[in-house]
Amino acid sequence: MEDKNNIALSVRDLKTFFYTNNRCNKAVNGVSFDVEKGKTLCIVGESGCGKSVTAATIMQLLPTLSRIEEGEIKFQKDDKIINIEKLEKNGKEMREIRGSDIAMIFQDPMTALNPVYTVGFQISENLKYHTNLNKKEIREKCISLLNDMGIPLPEKRIDEYPHSYSGGMRQRAMIAMAMACNPKILIADEPTTALDVTIQAQIFELMDKLKKENDTAIILITHDMGVVAELADNVAVMYMGNIVEAGTADDVLRRPTHPYTKALLESVPVLGRGKNQDINPIKGSTPDPYNRPIGCQFAPRCNWQTESCDVMPEITQINETHQVRCHKYEQFFEKYK
Amino acid sequence: MTTYIIQRLFIFFPMLLVISFLVYSGLELSPGDAVSHMISPELASTITAEQLDAMREAYGLNQSFLTRYWIWLTSMVQGDMGYSMAGGVAISEIMVKTVPATLELSMVALFFSTILGCSLGVISALKRGSGTDNSLTVAGMAGVSIPEFFFGLVAILLFAIELKWLPVGGRLLPHYETLWDRIPNIVLPSLVLALMMTAGAMRYARSSMLDVLAREFITTARSKGMPEWRVNILHGFRVALTPVVVLIGFRLPLLIGGSTIIEQVYQWPGIGSMFIRSVRASDYPLVMTISLMYVFVVLTASLIIDVLTALIDPRVRLGKE
Repeated sequence: MEDKNNIALSVRDLKTFFYTNNRCNKAVNGVSFDVEKGKTLCIVGESGCGKSVTAATIMQLLPTLSRIEEGEIKFQKDDKIINIEKLEKNGKEMREIRGSDIAMIFQDPMTALNPVYTVGFQISENLKYHTNLNKKEIREKCISLLNDMGIPLPEKRIDEYPHSYSGGMRQRAMIAMAMACNPKILIADEPTTALDVTIQAQIFELMDKLKKENDTAIILITHDMGVVAELADNVAVMYMGNIVEAGTADDVLRRPTHPYTKALLESVPVLGRGKNQDINPIKGSTPDPYNRPIGCQFAPRCNWQTESCDVMPEITQINETHQVRCHKYEQFFEKYK
Repeated sequence: MTTYIIQRLFIFFPMLLVISFLVYSGLELSPGDAVSHMISPELASTITAEQLDAMREAYGLNQSFLTRYWIWLTSMVQGDMGYSMAGGVAISEIMVKTVPATLELSMVALFFSTILGCSLGVISALKRGSGTDNSLTVAGMAGVSIPEFFFGLVAILLFAIELKWLPVGGRLLPHYETLWDRIPNIVLPSLVLALMMTAGAMRYARSSMLDVLAREFITTARSKGMPEWRVNILHGFRVALTPVVVLIGFRLPLLIGGSTIIEQVYQWPGIGSMFIRSVRASDYPLVMTISLMYVFVVLTASLIIDVLTALIDPRVRLGKE
């Protein structure tokens, strides 16, 4: 993390707020992280914790009622550093980054492809806008992309419509679309939630391969701890718009220092431990974003809560890579060492 | 698709047959016959029952219902539409005069309302919540709810009588032969006729467009770095178009039938006013021909819609592959 050249995207103190009915939902409330080239950063957390909004903010694909309130998103394009948050939302510069430098794949491949255009057309749009290839070259490139994604008979499949693709194939087509211009960063917003487990494994294998071959940085948003263990180089755990713990996969998964991370890990059943294993779901549910707890957002659901938790804890650096946002982390760390 | 169209054409004829029988029965059940409408009220007291019967015999009205239907049907199949009982004019001649007039009016109206309705609907959806959207919504509601004849009369009052920009009514005036001469006459009736459909199409296009703009593939398109026009029109409107096409298609027969009122208001010599007259006079052959023509238009319109939706939306497949 020290080497600045290695960082593809750097987010600092990012705040994205939603305004509805004169109320303000602080969906992303001061998030900082770095994405390294050729590494996978997993953002984990429960539903509604701000994972997807963070992703949408990086792409400037926020809905109309929300805006970036504060913070910086620095993207390294070639040798220049671009401040994404300063670009016009659908302006030319932003559009040039989207799809070509930073690409995104979505949760549900069933709805993320336009039903009235062929898969080939939808992939070629990307190439048409971001490269100087001619029609014939674009078509060849599309076929080779589909081929790389393991779609059989790509010459034939390219002219088919999304409805004749299966779910897994559609997600592959989505990845082909996202990878068309060799993006530096690929944001995957729960890419396998809508797919079954075998297809899930194939998709992740594919993403891992692409990461290694093209040195693409991946931001993977998920709530599946198994996926995190499998793929992540770095992990950021989010809760109510904040990152509560971040570090390398080893740091976070083997030595969880925040009660929330620990609770998340304990709420997942482990294959092979039998039917009678203890699963401890996190008590309560996420608070109403319009009626947030004072201080540490997790405190009301936390077993370690004390009076000191009424003040929002600052980020503490445990070691070079591992950071946590909790008052009690030392005691906690001791207990579960 | 060709197979599908041929299959559909085969359904055409049985349907025409059934509907023609139903219309004929309806006419039979309605009080009075052609002869009773031919006699002016002043003469009614002086005419004898024998004379009436003689007239009925002359027109063949004394024969049984089924025999008359059969005679009508066989001659219709041979292409003989018969003569109007009220005026004695060949029906083919009446149709040649009135059908083009009605088609001209409704096609121009359809053209205006489709283009206007779709574009206003899209604008309204893209600027939702804005002043433009709100005023278009109010205008749309007014357009849907205020009856056509009222608009027609107000338009005559305003543009023809007060401002004297356009003629009051009529289609072909003497000495007006070129197309250019005839355009002023069609402007008012076609716009008034288009108004209601524009309002409907606009509301429909707006909601369909809003629905599509909230879909995920719009975000996908944006995430590829497409410019906004391409996202909205190519990815948004193209998908939103399907239900709008269906709506407009189903309005087509309504438009042809519904032009009746406007034809009356603007003295447009179309089929609508002819239809009303023929029903009043129990003019069997004419009523039958016109209603069959309406049926034909409805069936053709629905066939066109099917083909169009299949062309627009690749998920729609017609018949067996």
